[in-house]
Amino acid sequence: MDRQSLFVIQELVSREIRRKYSRSKLGIIWSVLNPLLSMAVLSLIFSSMFRKSIENYPVYYLTGFLIWNFFTTATNTAMTSLADNQMLILQVKLPRSVFPLARVCTAFVNYLYSLAAYLCILLLFRIPFTWYMLLYPAIAAMVFFFALGLGCILSVLYVFFGDVRHLYSVLLTLWMYLSALFYPLELLPEGMQALIRQNPIYSFIAAARDCILYGRMPGADVWARMALWSLGVFLAGAWIFRGSQNRIVQKL
Amino acid sequence: MREERVRKGKKRERPVISVRNVSMFFRVPVENTSSLKEFVISMAAGRNRYRTLRALNGIRFDVYKGEIVGIIGTNGSGKSTLLKIISGAMTPTRGRVVADRKSIQLLTLGTGFDKELTARENVYLNGAILGYSREFIRRKYDSIVEFAELQGFMEQKVKNFSSGMVSRLGFAVATARDTPGILILDEVLSVGDMFFKEKSGKKIQEMIHSGATVLIVSHSTDTILRNCTRAVWIEKGIQKMTGDPEEVCRAYIEYGKKRGGAG
Repeated sequence: MDRQSLFVIQELVSREIRRKYSRSKLGIIWSVLNPLLSMAVLSLIFSSMFRKSIENYPVYYLTGFLIWNFFTTATNTAMTSLADNQMLILQVKLPRSVFPLARVCTAFVNYLYSLAAYLCILLLFRIPFTWYMLLYPAIAAMVFFFALGLGCILSVLYVFFGDVRHLYSVLLTLWMYLSALFYPLELLPEGMQALIRQNPIYSFIAAARDCILYGRMPGADVWARMALWSLGVFLAGAWIFRGSQNRIVQKL
Repeated sequence: MREERVRKGKKRERPVISVRNVSMFFRVPVENTSSLKEFVISMAAGRNRYRTLRALNGIRFDVYKGEIVGIIGTNGSGKSTLLKIISGAMTPTRGRVVADRKSIQLLTLGTGFDKELTARENVYLNGAILGYSREFIRRKYDSIVEFAELQGFMEQKVKNFSSGMVSRLGFAVATARDTPGILILDEVLSVGDMFFKEKSGKKIQEMIHSGATVLIVSHSTDTILRNCTRAVWIEKGIQKMTGDPEEVCRAYIEYGKKRGGAG
């Protein structure tokens, strides 16, 4: 990754962000507002339902939602990155991975903005500060690489099969319900719980809740699972992306 | 001027671009399956057949420093594919191209502009993609705007621009670089209105005179005759003729007439 690639990524990211909000008055503030509103809605509906099993429900939900939202935005936008930029792809001499990478970075910047909302909520609910909170960036970094790897794979698939987009959106719905985003895991039967524990996104979310909400160290098995998933998917993505360069250009 | 450039003595140097027996085959599915469902169905039915499209077949020529080579051919004859291979965007099926990829600049217009962004933002984005550094764009910004004659429009979104304005801006950004070692022009010699055409023509002449090697792709004999020192004619992926632009263009026109008569 040389300086020029970095510059291109910067320009692409700033383009995406400006584009995203080019028609709205509030602009980037939506990145902060959106998770807050979503949290308000979900809390309104589920707070009383899960009052007994989850304390600080809004924080519980928001912790998961921010990670989930970053992950879905990153992968969804990275998926179409090659097809959207086909005019540019033929011109650049840079590694073409700058396109999915820029999309994932854009989603990440958005996510960083929404952390401002998160901080306010943490203060509002008087979540006590613990040193474990400092582990949160490590978790975010692993989500980043996980999303990047998957985004690269999806972007290649999307060039060849436009349908991937629709398939993926269905898959995401299923995935969301399997991530214990807005309900307590203990509510489910044993077998289902075991299944959900294998879900990488659930690992990320559970680890984040441990660090922030419960002030405890996530288990070693969770760390291992997160690291393996993010490294594995990232490497798979990089490998598949590199392997299909030539065919992508032909297809576009 | 032209005679000077074709001097036989030049031919003994090492070529800056060497196209060596380049072939490009595409596997084109007989039925276009762009959806996964169709793909699976046709695979299950065992009829995912491909036919091979020979986009380029054994193309070979050398380009020497300071030459202006025109590639001519009808639409769909494989010119653009050849350009993509020379500029490094594609790897050929067979053969190879030897060239210093760093000094090649492909000039195709209107590509890569984002209509939702302002002209200024587009200059930076496009410049970055063309390989300019941030400092370079900042330094050249005023001269780019001036050349494109878009003073006072730079903070507007490109979607409000006329197509002429867009291509002027594209031309100005793409030619901002001081001396591209090798310049590849893809049908860009007729940009903008009459007056800008003159100006862009002059700019291209300037680049040519600065010692750049130029590769022009066109389906117009006019362009080739006016600018080139040598011409390569490609028809349906096959290299028909290489040599003096006048001879090549004459043969090309002859061929066009015959084909038109037959059709």
